[in-house]
Amino acid sequence: MPAFPTIPIAKLSGHNGIVHAVAYSSGSQSYILTGSSDRTIRLYNPKKAPPSSVAPAASNVYPPGLVNKYSAHGYEVLSIHVNADNDRFVSTGGDKTVFLWDVQTAQTIRRYSGHAGRVNRGVFGGDGDSIIATGSFDGTVKIWDVKSKSHKPIMTLDDAKDSITDVSVQDGEIISASVDGRVRSYDIRTGTCHVDVIGYPCTSLDVTKKGTELLVSSLDSTIRLMDRANGDMLKAYTDEAFLNKDLRVRSTLGLNDSVVLSGSDNGMIFVWDIMGGECLHRFKHSEMREVQGKGTTAGQTGKKDVVSAVAFCTARREWASAGGDGSVVVWGVER
Amino acid sequence: MAYKRPRASSPSSSQKRSRPSKYISLGTELPEDDGDDGAFVPVWKQTVTDERGRRRLHGAFTGGFSAGYFNTVGSKEGWAPKTFVSSRANRNKDQPNGAAQRAEDFMDDEDLAQAAETRQLETAQNFAGIGEAGAMKDDGMFGLFLTQEETMGVKIAQSMGWRRDQGIGRKVRRNARLEDDAAGDSAAHLFAPDDARVMTVPREQVRRKGLGYLSEARLGDIVENEVERASGPDLHFLQGSKKALAVRKPTVKKSSFGVGILNDTGSDDEDPYELGPKITFNKTLGKDKKAKKPSKFAKAGASDKPVFISKKETSKALAISSRRSMDGNPPLAGFTLAAETAELKSKSRYPAPKIPSGWKSSKGVSAATPANFQSVADAAKVSTLDAKARSTLLGEKPLPGKSIFDFIPKGARDRLADLSGKADLPQGLGQSGPEGHLPAASAQPKDLWSLVPALDKVLAAGALAKGATGWMPYAEDFQKRTRYVSFLELRAGLKDDLPERSRGVSISDWTKELQEFAHAAEVFKPTTGIMASRFTSSTTSTLPQNGGNEANENLRKPVAKPEDPAESAAKLGMYGAMTRSSFPFHPSRLLCKRFNVQPPPDMPPAFNTSGTGFKAQTEEPVSKNAMEKMLHDVLTNGTAMQRPGWMGQAAEAAAPQSQSVEHATVDVEKNEALSNERAPEDVFKAIFGDDDDDE
Repeated sequence: MPAFPTIPIAKLSGHNGIVHAVAYSSGSQSYILTGSSDRTIRLYNPKKAPPSSVAPAASNVYPPGLVNKYSAHGYEVLSIHVNADNDRFVSTGGDKTVFLWDVQTAQTIRRYSGHAGRVNRGVFGGDGDSIIATGSFDGTVKIWDVKSKSHKPIMTLDDAKDSITDVSVQDGEIISASVDGRVRSYDIRTGTCHVDVIGYPCTSLDVTKKGTELLVSSLDSTIRLMDRANGDMLKAYTDEAFLNKDLRVRSTLGLNDSVVLSGSDNGMIFVWDIMGGECLHRFKHSEMREVQGKGTTAGQTGKKDVVSAVAFCTARREWASAGGDGSVVVWGVER
Repeated sequence: MAYKRPRASSPSSSQKRSRPSKYISLGTELPEDDGDDGAFVPVWKQTVTDERGRRRLHGAFTGGFSAGYFNTVGSKEGWAPKTFVSSRANRNKDQPNGAAQRAEDFMDDEDLAQAAETRQLETAQNFAGIGEAGAMKDDGMFGLFLTQEETMGVKIAQSMGWRRDQGIGRKVRRNARLEDDAAGDSAAHLFAPDDARVMTVPREQVRRKGLGYLSEARLGDIVENEVERASGPDLHFLQGSKKALAVRKPTVKKSSFGVGILNDTGSDDEDPYELGPKITFNKTLGKDKKAKKPSKFAKAGASDKPVFISKKETSKALAISSRRSMDGNPPLAGFTLAAETAELKSKSRYPAPKIPSGWKSSKGVSAATPANFQSVADAAKVSTLDAKARSTLLGEKPLPGKSIFDFIPKGARDRLADLSGKADLPQGLGQSGPEGHLPAASAQPKDLWSLVPALDKVLAAGALAKGATGWMPYAEDFQKRTRYVSFLELRAGLKDDLPERSRGVSISDWTKELQEFAHAAEVFKPTTGIMASRFTSSTTSTLPQNGGNEANENLRKPVAKPEDPAESAAKLGMYGAMTRSSFPFHPSRLLCKRFNVQPPPDMPPAFNTSGTGFKAQTEEPVSKNAMEKMLHDVLTNGTAMQRPGWMGQAAEAAAPQSQSVEHATVDVEKNEALSNERAPEDVFKAIFGDDDDDE
């Protein structure tokens, strides 16, 4: 078992609201994109943002590590996804729109509007990232064409009975997690949709590299590893201190699919062993330290304490967590 | 074709201007139709012609511009316009035989003759008045409507010696009424009595009024009628004209049902449409309102003209009303004495003729009449026979009927005897009634059965079943509910005894309740079909009353939805086949193109039937085996259309082979998906095992 990165190596500051989305850039993954409820998307270089850095008082001064700001959203930014070529990314937000950005010019290339509610998630997919799949509060998954200039979605999947919280595109399949407690896998090759009932509102999805397992967070403070082939549950990840009942917090697989990483409602970050299911580490996001033992949960249920997004760097032993206090902490093995 | 010539070319106008001399001709005559010669022509004389000299522009009312076939309007061949006459103001004046059609226009000669025939009036019978010139005395056309045919009464009277214009009765000895009134010999001749005129009661005098009716005190009318009655027979149809001649009497204000708006007397404070009792309010405080003064503008009685009431008439009316009837009593309230009949009565009564002394009737009473005459009643009194005895005397058979005492028990008979004080009442036998009239126990249920309302058996059973599973009426009255249930059971055929009737309940109430039950069963029958799937029965609303705890409870508890079995399985952690379901969807072609996959076949293959599993299926829409088999088939046999005829047989022979599909054996007892064990640990290791594990 390799050492889990437990040392905060960078702190990305500057957001004025809860950071809802964190995404590593593709390729070498040296940049981090963050989306916040302050309606901006920021591109950071974590190497230039030491953990001791603080946000500057003046708003016109760039905080350390900030490379670029992308502002077009009218409401909070809820998800960011970077395409494989690293030149574009998609962002969705509470303004019911989906923006396709050019990273260099910080301009939107496309604006897709058609959802009837806030868009919780937007991901690239298809051959050469030619589509964008978005899941919205209106209970639909819409698939937009990046290559054409069409403003209408290619397809709308409206089987869900409740808000779509997460969408994932995996090798010809579009997987959506919904608040109605179901994970739907639309297999485009066979034209079949498999519905797996989780039983509790699902908030986050992650697919293993092989594509045969699925990590699902649900609002019963449990993260489940599901077998995609037949819908079996392979493992459930819980902890006494792990609390996820109200908020949409992201969970992710990390370290080559060997650990499960999740934020929580109460400001803690939990790391589980994927095989054993035992909790390996607990981190306190706001204090930027690892918590030994069971961790403290007393009186820490404020909205600012949520760790709403986590992202794992697939290129290095490094991950990032974004909290309700507006800061993003990057954790690594060593400085 | 002759065209209408322009005005300029008409000889009257052209010749006026330059009339050539008949005798002298100098030079060459200019052509007549050279058109404009410069002379002044007034506007109304100017005409427009075409290049051939024909007139154009005929004007709106003379055919319009270029009217008719090739401008023929006004020419001999063409249509000649007339002056337009608006018929708006005088529609029928200018049309003597115009649009007004009569019925005669549609009649042929026969019809006309028939119509003329109907105009002629004929009497059906011979009438007395016609031709009798002298008879037209005073009775107007009365004779015209009297038939000459004699009535039966006249015929009888005539056969008895009566003649016309004679009175009826004994002949009267009197003088002949001659012009020279010779009053000398008194006992002259026997004459038939004078014809007394029949008292005709005018129709208005026939009081067809109800008791207590007060006519509107129209004294004048009575006088008028009396005057009229004095002259001639009463001809009601002639009265109108007579009345018209008479001076119109001032009309007294009539009272009748309802007061129309036309009867408005002009006073504002009288609402003709007022409903309800009139209530007068005092509009001033402290003192009583004075009686309403007559209006300033209208004096009292100003609306009515003064009516002259003669003193004589009033005294007469008074005399009539105060007169007593024959028996000396004043007439009954509401009745009035007839004034006219009094005149008849006032005729002197003749005393009964005196029987002369010594006269003896030839029909004397015979002396043989027994002195001790007994009336029938007296004889009956004396007789001691009763009805039974008489019947035996007469030899009648006794009637088969029985006395009431045959049926009442002895005790009742004794009580009757005590009460009535008659000891000779027949003995009470206490027999039972005849066969057809048994009133008691056995008859009653049969009658009651007819009172139990009918109900469809299926319906009753359905209502019962609904009661067993869900809601049932009369939840608040358990006894009533049991009665309802027993009624339903009876009608459903589960029971066959009469629905119970409690002690104090009358049969009508009981029947009413049963009918209510039948109605309730129809109303609350279980819904069927689509309706049944839309409604669910509510939970019972009457909670047990248990004090303080009640306040916390909601009035209505939310009904738990039937839980999805998949959800419940998920809650139990039984993920797998129970929680998985699948349905087909149709990805759009563009989406498939963007994903660079083949669009799925129209019908997605059945899920998970083969052992190859999910992954294999997602990669290949058609399995390799199936593809190869299809290819082989086509290569060996060709496609179905290309196949020659002889190959059909072979294909058919081959068909059963290919169709021998193995039927899947379904073991009901065992669900493999559920009982499958988890994959062994090393499988997980193989999947998730990290490369760095062995470090």
